[in-house]
Amino acid sequence: MNKDINWFKLNRSLHRDIGYFCIGLTLIFAVSGIALNHLDDWNPNYQVTQETHLIPDINSVINQENFESWLLKKLNIKTKVKARFWQTPTEYKLFTTDNHSLLINAQNNSVVVEQVKARFLLKSLNTLHLNEIKSAWTYFSDLYAILLIYLALSALFMVRGKKGVKSLRGLLVAAGFIIPAIFMMNYSL
Amino acid sequence: MSALKLMIIVMLSGIFSVFNFASADQDFGNGADMAHLSAISEILTSPNDFMSSPVTVEGTIVKVCKKRGCWMELASDKKFQTLRIKVRDGEMVFPMTAMGKVAYATGKLTAIPLNLMQTKNYLAHIAQEQQESFDANKVTKAITVYQLSPTGVTIED
Repeated sequence: MNKDINWFKLNRSLHRDIGYFCIGLTLIFAVSGIALNHLDDWNPNYQVTQETHLIPDINSVINQENFESWLLKKLNIKTKVKARFWQTPTEYKLFTTDNHSLLINAQNNSVVVEQVKARFLLKSLNTLHLNEIKSAWTYFSDLYAILLIYLALSALFMVRGKKGVKSLRGLLVAAGFIIPAIFMMNYSL
Repeated sequence: MSALKLMIIVMLSGIFSVFNFASADQDFGNGADMAHLSAISEILTSPNDFMSSPVTVEGTIVKVCKKRGCWMELASDKKFQTLRIKVRDGEMVFPMTAMGKVAYATGKLTAIPLNLMQTKNYLAHIAQEQQESFDANKVTKAITVYQLSPTGVTIED
């Protein structure tokens, strides 16, 4: 019975179908991987904008009851304040429902308006990549990793003969191990 | 069952887990234990009384680590006072969009006494992370940093 199974053909079919399945997942991990790799250069999850405004009357109005609505009107921000906080005796912070944070300096009459916006799609991809959600995604991404191991190992048996892994092309396989090994030795990992 | 059918089932379970995430609440770790709340001001007045057992604090989120979401500051019930909730990178990731929301955090209070140089470096690092200006010459006293290492956090919407 076993003699009827064409292992070579089966391996190629499985490699092909699992490969198709892994396209989406690979793109998710690859795109977010590049984004997260440059964490020191940019914020891959949020777009943070900052604007500084000088509003002369702040120190005289800041303790008045209508201060918040007055300030939002001055800044032309159409939203609601959801929380407030005195950071220091001269610095007051307001948080709006549209993810603005307003740092008001009553001493120099300045307001730093910061707005945080989650980056479209990329924030979600990064969340998946870093498995911040845990739950079922943990198992699903484990499965993806196992499938990647299968794709890597099965690739060794995809092609026979001159272009197979036993030819000079085997050096490419070796390079995939040697390059990280050089980094590990260089950085004493 | 064919390999193709099996793969479709696995794929659907993946999609399901993503939808699950979309409707996830804002619990991190085990979520906060709301039964044993202590006021931040009370903790910071006599921190040694709170070192031995886990505590739960409540406060408005007034700052979040911009880089990795690995810490956030909760406003105290007392003016000008905050308590830092700090996790190891990746353990929990606090979203920047949570600023202004109320959070509850349960965990262990830790004290990190710093000398003057460490204090300056620490405050400079915080300012750099938050893209805020910082003048080291204005720091004249060493501080002890009190922070909570949480096992559970709940952020209310």
